[in-house]
Amino acid sequence: MSDDLAQRTHTGQKRKEKTDLTFWGRLSNWGPYHLMMGAVTASPRRQFVVLAIFPLVWVLFQNLGPMLQMLRVSLTDAYPVAPGVEQHFTLENYTRFFGDQIFWQPFFRTLVFSAVFTFCTLIITYPVAYFLARHVSRRNQMLFLLLLLIPFWVGEIVRTYAIMILLGNTGAVNQLLKWLGFIDRPIPFMYTSFSMGVGIVYLTALYMLLPLYSALEKLPKSFNEAAADLGASAWTRFRRVTLPLTLEGISSGCTLVFLISTGFYATPVLLGGPSTTVFAETIAGFFHVAGDEWPTGAAFATIMFAAALILTGTFQKFMNALRKGDTK
Amino acid sequence: MTKLTFSRRRFLGTAAAGTAALASPAYLRSAHAAGGEVNIWTYNDFVPEAFKKQFEAETGIKVNVRLVDDQGKQFNLLAAEAPNPTVDIMTVAGHRFLQFIDNDLLAPLDTDRLSNWGKINPTFSESDWSTINGHKWGAPILSGMEVLAYNTELVSPEEVKSWDVLFSEKYKGQTAYILQDMMSIIMLKMGYDGNMVAYLDDPAKAEAIVEEAKQYLIDKKPLVRKYYDGGAEVQQMFVNQDIALGHSWNGPAAALINDGFPLAMTIPQEGSYGFVYTYNIANNAPNADNAYTFLNAILASPEIGAAMTKASGFISTYKDASNYLTDLEKKSTSFTDEEMSTLKFFRAEANEMKYGFVDPAVEAIKAA
Repeated sequence: MSDDLAQRTHTGQKRKEKTDLTFWGRLSNWGPYHLMMGAVTASPRRQFVVLAIFPLVWVLFQNLGPMLQMLRVSLTDAYPVAPGVEQHFTLENYTRFFGDQIFWQPFFRTLVFSAVFTFCTLIITYPVAYFLARHVSRRNQMLFLLLLLIPFWVGEIVRTYAIMILLGNTGAVNQLLKWLGFIDRPIPFMYTSFSMGVGIVYLTALYMLLPLYSALEKLPKSFNEAAADLGASAWTRFRRVTLPLTLEGISSGCTLVFLISTGFYATPVLLGGPSTTVFAETIAGFFHVAGDEWPTGAAFATIMFAAALILTGTFQKFMNALRKGDTK
Repeated sequence: MTKLTFSRRRFLGTAAAGTAALASPAYLRSAHAAGGEVNIWTYNDFVPEAFKKQFEAETGIKVNVRLVDDQGKQFNLLAAEAPNPTVDIMTVAGHRFLQFIDNDLLAPLDTDRLSNWGKINPTFSESDWSTINGHKWGAPILSGMEVLAYNTELVSPEEVKSWDVLFSEKYKGQTAYILQDMMSIIMLKMGYDGNMVAYLDDPAKAEAIVEEAKQYLIDKKPLVRKYYDGGAEVQQMFVNQDIALGHSWNGPAAALINDGFPLAMTIPQEGSYGFVYTYNIANNAPNADNAYTFLNAILASPEIGAAMTKASGFISTYKDASNYLTDLEKKSTSFTDEEMSTLKFFRAEANEMKYGFVDPAVEAIKAA
């Protein structure tokens, strides 16, 4: 009788424990779940496969999928395929680029502009990142970063229009110069490589600033103090200690900004002028023009993509070599 | 003429008047309560908001508008969806009909199902471009043209008699135009057929003419401030005084004039090209019956045509629509007989050949 009571009490306690468990607790005690997790985590190899599935699916469908589709379109002679038209594979869209010099100028102009604007962004943002990482207290750094992030709360087009308002003939800059008595007539800033450059630097600055800030923030202050103790001047400390040890941040920032700059479309269209046509505008033209021009646009986009990747790959290698050379 | 983006300010300014004008329900009385939906691809302001609300209330048909800004994009979207499109009504420019028809994207319009067809001005509904292969393919709603617009405080009317002023040293860096459109105008200015229909049998001549126009625009490139793409861009440049004069579609220019901006427009003596926007029914439209109900309703009254003009600045194709415009609106949407006498409509017959030459020429000018 007492055994029976003890067993009932024990069963009752177990049931109570079970009902006290949360959903996740109950799930982890559920037999099929146990079985499945056991099978999945039976070996490190299985664990790796399970963990890799989601990122792989994401990269494949979200990142690589559209690129591969674009590559496929670039190798066809018709897209979208109209009724009654048979689609064939061809390399003609690629030979069109290499066979016609009129496409080379916007192509190389884009690469040169992107390189120059990347360099300008680096020169402008490095002191900002340096100040932020080295001279702003950690408590205020987040506030400072938040201030820098504010323009990014709105989209690219709105920020581009902000530049137009700033640089237009009746814009703030011309009004100020006029008020100060420096000019009688407005300076035509807009629709030039200058206005386009200002726009692109403004739009990409944060992509440069964050890697630089990260690199500078990780750099121990004691390194510079040691160099100072050994008699190095401020310039020497920067040249021999800070700069080499932030090359990784420079490399990441430049790569990001360069790649983004090669693909800008709306900003050059809105801020650029007749002599600043970039390759993205040429590519967009093929997609806007009705008919079978999508494959050509896709081929040109692929060419630019490959060129940008080759250039950034070369740049990364150069930076790696530089870094290794300096740290040896 | 490929893109359109219009100021909404004009629409907002006239919305109240439009609502009042469109309050009369008479034009929808014949439409029975049908229900369902109708999907429309069109430009901003081409379906007056007041009309849309009233149509939905009276018929139970939900109007889904997807804004487009480009004929080419519309074609590509539709081609990608064919043969089972999601759209019922598109907005195709008359001179682009052929391309859509050749690709089986449009259904012939059964005008017998449109009791209000007769309310369109016959100049548009019965003109030669509107009938292809013995069928009508669209209901004309708005008409536009390529004009020379100028800031009246900076440029005098005497200076804008010819397109040459756009390429004068005096206004260096103060002009803007759409390259693709300007190619046709330059060909016309040079005395050629900018539609290239006259050279259908002589592609070599057509190519030489395009080359001549291209060379002219390359030579004049140092004088231009901006090659632009959309109506909103040219409006912005005028408002910011970045340009003193420029080629424009009459719609965006009229919208600025109606806003009180010191702007005027003209068709220079060498002439220009006009175009007509039409509502068309897609081949295999999923809600074809509702599409016809919508078309008949929107054609019902000149007030609706006037509301479209007020919002877009383009000229209504409806009979008597001008009776519902203010004097300023009438002024901004009318031209003298002398100007109109030089106006030609864009034609589609030679488009394939024409744009085969013009598109690379445009790229070459941009790259030069």
